[in-house]
Amino acid sequence: MNKLAAKYLRPSQIPTKACHGCGIGMIENWLLQAIDELGLKQEDVIFGTGIGCVGRQTFATWGGDNFGATHGRALAVATGLKLAQPDKKYLIVVGDGDAASIGTSHLIHAARRNLGVVVICEDNMGYESTGGQFSPTTPAGYVTNSSPYGMVEPPFDPCDVVKAAGATFVAETTATQWHQTVKIVKKALANDGFSFVHVRFPCNENFGAYALGTRDTLKNLEWIYEHTQGRKADGTETDFTWETGIKHDASNSRPEFSKIMRDMNARVRADAEAKAAKPADKGHADAPAGRDGGHAKH
Amino acid sequence: MSTLTLALKDGLVAPWTEWERRCTQGRRLLEAGTYALTEGAIAAGCRVFAGYPITPATDIAEYMSKRLPQVGGYYVQCEDELAGMHACAGASLGGLKAMTATSGPGYTLMHDAYGWSITNEIPLVVVDAMRVGPISGITGAPGQGEFYIARYASHGGNFETIVLSPSSVQEAFWLTIDAFNLAERFRTPVTILTDQVISDMWEDLFIPADYDGLDFVIPRKHNLMMPFFPVGSADLDVPPNVIGHGTGVCVSAYTHTEEGYDIEEMEAQWAQTYRLVNKIRHHRDELTRYETLGLEDAEVVAVAYGANARTVKTGVLEARRRGVKAGFVRLITLWPFPDELFERDTRYVVCELNYDGQLVREVMRSAPSKNTVHFMGKSAELHTVGEVVAGLEGVAKSGRIPELPYIWTEVR
Amino acid sequence: MPLFKTEKIAPRGPAGRWDVVIGEEMCKACGFCLNVCPVDVFAYRTATNKLGWFPMYVAHEANCIGCMLCYQICPDFCIDVAVKNGAQN
Repeated sequence: MNKLAAKYLRPSQIPTKACHGCGIGMIENWLLQAIDELGLKQEDVIFGTGIGCVGRQTFATWGGDNFGATHGRALAVATGLKLAQPDKKYLIVVGDGDAASIGTSHLIHAARRNLGVVVICEDNMGYESTGGQFSPTTPAGYVTNSSPYGMVEPPFDPCDVVKAAGATFVAETTATQWHQTVKIVKKALANDGFSFVHVRFPCNENFGAYALGTRDTLKNLEWIYEHTQGRKADGTETDFTWETGIKHDASNSRPEFSKIMRDMNARVRADAEAKAAKPADKGHADAPAGRDGGHAKH
Repeated sequence: MSTLTLALKDGLVAPWTEWERRCTQGRRLLEAGTYALTEGAIAAGCRVFAGYPITPATDIAEYMSKRLPQVGGYYVQCEDELAGMHACAGASLGGLKAMTATSGPGYTLMHDAYGWSITNEIPLVVVDAMRVGPISGITGAPGQGEFYIARYASHGGNFETIVLSPSSVQEAFWLTIDAFNLAERFRTPVTILTDQVISDMWEDLFIPADYDGLDFVIPRKHNLMMPFFPVGSADLDVPPNVIGHGTGVCVSAYTHTEEGYDIEEMEAQWAQTYRLVNKIRHHRDELTRYETLGLEDAEVVAVAYGANARTVKTGVLEARRRGVKAGFVRLITLWPFPDELFERDTRYVVCELNYDGQLVREVMRSAPSKNTVHFMGKSAELHTVGEVVAGLEGVAKSGRIPELPYIWTEVR
Repeated sequence: MPLFKTEKIAPRGPAGRWDVVIGEEMCKACGFCLNVCPVDVFAYRTATNKLGWFPMYVAHEANCIGCMLCYQICPDFCIDVAVKNGAQN
């Protein structure tokens, strides 16, 4: 395996369970480059994954500490874990189903809290692990396993959702933008706050087969390439184009969640010490460490 | 009545009888059960509470929001119960003792996270302050409808669970410390089943003065080397795994190897199940907690747990005063179910706060003959002393519980 | 500019100064490296690897110009491209 994989990955899990031509391994290679270029060691980084192709094919490949949460809940686990281990770098590698469907609530609140993690939302535009049903990011009108008459629900862009929720770094790339993705992931890791990197990638077995009509790996990666450029090989326009690049960069502009909590604790402790240092007033006797004298609210 | 109590052999089997003896310095307060549950957690070293407010457990969240910053801990008000328990699991994985508290509707949302915690052997404490059913029922009334759900708190089978239930505010304090200890020793989430009465009632509460000096609190240790999951072994007291120390541990809900990555082989399935089931089953004697009264010569034994055990016990004493040789069993450990408490070949009257009959089925299964097990189900109110006496007298004298309004006796 | 180049250009410039290594036992024969490469370096083996695919192998290492496109596009961590010892970058 390549040098970065040998340095960072778990040998027993390589080759991965991903299908041939799947973009998940490509993107993971770029994540390793970003990690390596930042000088991070294996013990500095924690991977959190979910369920679905992205979650399961990434899970356990990282050689350091990593967790595969229940479907959609990687960010919920990360919210607690970050409090206990605030100094690590977190790469939450999840799919479009995990982040933008079942896990959207946690995505929104992690962005709102400015939780210090980097979410790599690898988007193959459907629930490919279960065979290729549509997801909230499947392009409108496309035929999938559960939209045999064409996807009639409108999709949304998770980048818009997290930006509205308060994410401090939002970017989008695709599986044909390796250099940009490495650069963007490095910037995302430099943000002490919630970073969201949305990477569209091809699925050959399901999305390719049912929505695009072919399992040919070259044709499907070219489809991604065309929709990144906005132009097909013959020069005609594609039906839609993805806007790639950094969409919002407010890195380090507001405090990170675990820091907010630590600061509050320091403030509470300081207030308690100041109160204890004051001459004792004959106030209401408290239970250990100061509970309110009044009744609890019901 | 106190003469009568002394005359009968009263046994309380629980580790806190010893703890109470040793803690001489402290304060006496008049406080609610939720307060006791919170302070017990803080005393046990809990430093993270992540949950969602729900009656009647909301006060625990509020107390935690006040107390945890005072002790350097974190209160996270999550977007829902699902996130709450997952965040607790994450915090525990990172090395902090964590707890959440909810009621029935939230407890059912926690099942995904509960299963994740069971299979990854993550120590946690979950308080389920039950309300009465069906389903969301009456918010402000006691029930005991999650007896089986607490045992089967997630999908897939192939696991055991530990479930405890206190029946007084003081007991809630000690039992919470016990729950944290068991969570550490068994590397598993522990459910504390309370109800609206235990949560909200105010009683005498003694709290030790110095939490740091409680030598019976088991501190968090870290497992820093392989095997992270000693599959195939039922060993107790394996330290919990930790994320963030560069051990390379893998954590997921799938059948896994000793290292933690997923594997799809029957041998692995067997080994992992062996561990999750037998680490509890083979050490059942570490989990024995119950209270009994007058069993030596009992011709009928009342069985209960939680809040209604209070009135049931009074009913037993009253029945004795009227000449019925009544005995009393109060379960504190609900799961693993203490079959051994029902070996006596006598009649049982199971009083529980539900109509569909849950505890009674386990007693029927454990007792020498299920025909001698009678059911007195009630919902939304505790059993009155009069009802308990009537039930005990009826079974002792004529082998059946008399018709009583709103008491359910049928078990199908 | 197209992503995949079926017509290969002649090696030039820094050609011949690169070590190209493919982990053939890990290759899943997606074809990306062969098709993204602008020069003629890769070819398919005629016998399968343990995974059951006909893997890619480095047929003409001397043609490599060090563009690293194959390294970036391989989905299975198979490829390493590095300057040969002693060669100038």
